[in-house]
Amino acid sequence: MTRAVAPYRVHRLIQDLMRDPGAAAAFRVDPASTFAGYGMSGTECALLRQGTLAAMTELGVHPNLQMKYLRLAAPAPDAKALAAPGPLDAYLPRLLEL
Amino acid sequence: MGRIVGALGMSHIMFPPTGIEEQAERILSHMLEIRRRLHAMRPDLIVLAGADHLNTFTLAMQVTLAIGVSDRFTTLGDGGVPVREFAGHRAFAEGFARFASRRGFELVQAEEVRPDHGTAFPKLVLDPDNAIPTVPLFINAAMPVPPQPSRCLALGEALAAYVATERPADERVAVVGTGGLSHWLRLPDEGRIAEDFDRAVIAALVAGEAPRLAQMDSDAIIEAAGNGGLEVIAWLFAAGALPGARGEAIYYEPVPAWITGMGAVELFAETAAAGKGD
Repeated sequence: MTRAVAPYRVHRLIQDLMRDPGAAAAFRVDPASTFAGYGMSGTECALLRQGTLAAMTELGVHPNLQMKYLRLAAPAPDAKALAAPGPLDAYLPRLLEL
Repeated sequence: MGRIVGALGMSHIMFPPTGIEEQAERILSHMLEIRRRLHAMRPDLIVLAGADHLNTFTLAMQVTLAIGVSDRFTTLGDGGVPVREFAGHRAFAEGFARFASRRGFELVQAEEVRPDHGTAFPKLVLDPDNAIPTVPLFINAAMPVPPQPSRCLALGEALAAYVATERPADERVAVVGTGGLSHWLRLPDEGRIAEDFDRAVIAALVAGEAPRLAQMDSDAIIEAAGNGGLEVIAWLFAAGALPGARGEAIYYEPVPAWITGMGAVELFAETAAAGKGD
C-alpha cells in the first residue's frame, strides 16, 4: 500500500523543534506562528493541530516523528508530572544491580 | 585469531508494568537471563547492533549503516534509560570499517553519536557496570530506505571474517542484535502483533536458518511485522556473525499493552560452521 509522505518542511519543523528547546517552548505557546514560519498550508495546520493517528497518516508524517511531535505539542509537564515515575523506574533497581 | 563467542537477538525496550505486572515481571526476569548468558560467554568486547530512532540520524541525513568509532559514548537518555557513559573500542571499530570496505560495505564512521534506547537499554541489560567495551553498530530500520535483510546477514558474516583474520589471538567477541519483534508504530494497524511471524523468526534463527529468513525483502518484513518489526534485521546481523549456528529461544511474549512482540534468542558459537565466515 502506498502511503502519503508529508512535505519535507513538516518533517523539518519537527526535527528543528527537537534540536532547539527555545523554539519548542515558543511552539507550545504559539503554534500558529511556528507553522507560518515553515509555510504550512491551512490543511496542514489543521491536520497537525488534530494530531490524531488518522490526521498524521493523512498528512504522511513519519511514524517516529509523529511520536516526537506529539511530545512537543503536549503541554509542558507540571510539577506532578515531573515527579511521576519514569517508564523504566519499576525495573531500574534490578537492572542496575550488578 | 579472535573468536565470536556467542550471539544474541533481543527486544530493546520495556514499558511501565501498569496493568500487566506479572507479565512485565516475567520479561524482566528474561532480560536478566539474557545478561547471565552474555556473561557466560566471557566476552572481551560486545558488538551491539540496532536501530537509531531518528535521534542521531534523521531525515536530514539518512544513514543506512554506521559504526560508532568513539573511545567513549554517552547515551541519549530517552525511553527512561538513564544517561550513562560506556567505553567503545576505536581500534576494533575502525579496523572493521576498513575490513568491511573490502567486503562491499562502506560503513559510515560515527564519531559523535548519542546512542538512544535501541543501544542504551540492551547495554544496560547486558553490562550494567559498563565493564565490557562495546562497539555500537547502527542499522537503519526507521528511515525510508533500510538495508535489505540479506545485506545485514552478510555484514555479520564480514564481522566474523574480520574477527577471525584480523583481531588479536584469543579476543572474545559477543554479537548482539536488538529491536522488534513485530509492532506497528503510529500506523493504522497500531496495536497489532504478528505472533506467527515472531515465532517463525525465532524458530528459523534457532534452527540455523537465518539465510532463509534473510531472503525476505525489507518491505515484506514491514508488511508482515510492521514498521517496528523491521528491526529484526539487526538479529540477522548477529546471526550472520555465527554462520550456520543453532541456538535456543530465551523467551517470546506478545505484549498487547506495549503493542509489541517481545523476545530473545541465543545462538551458540560451537554450532557455527567452522571457517564459513573466512
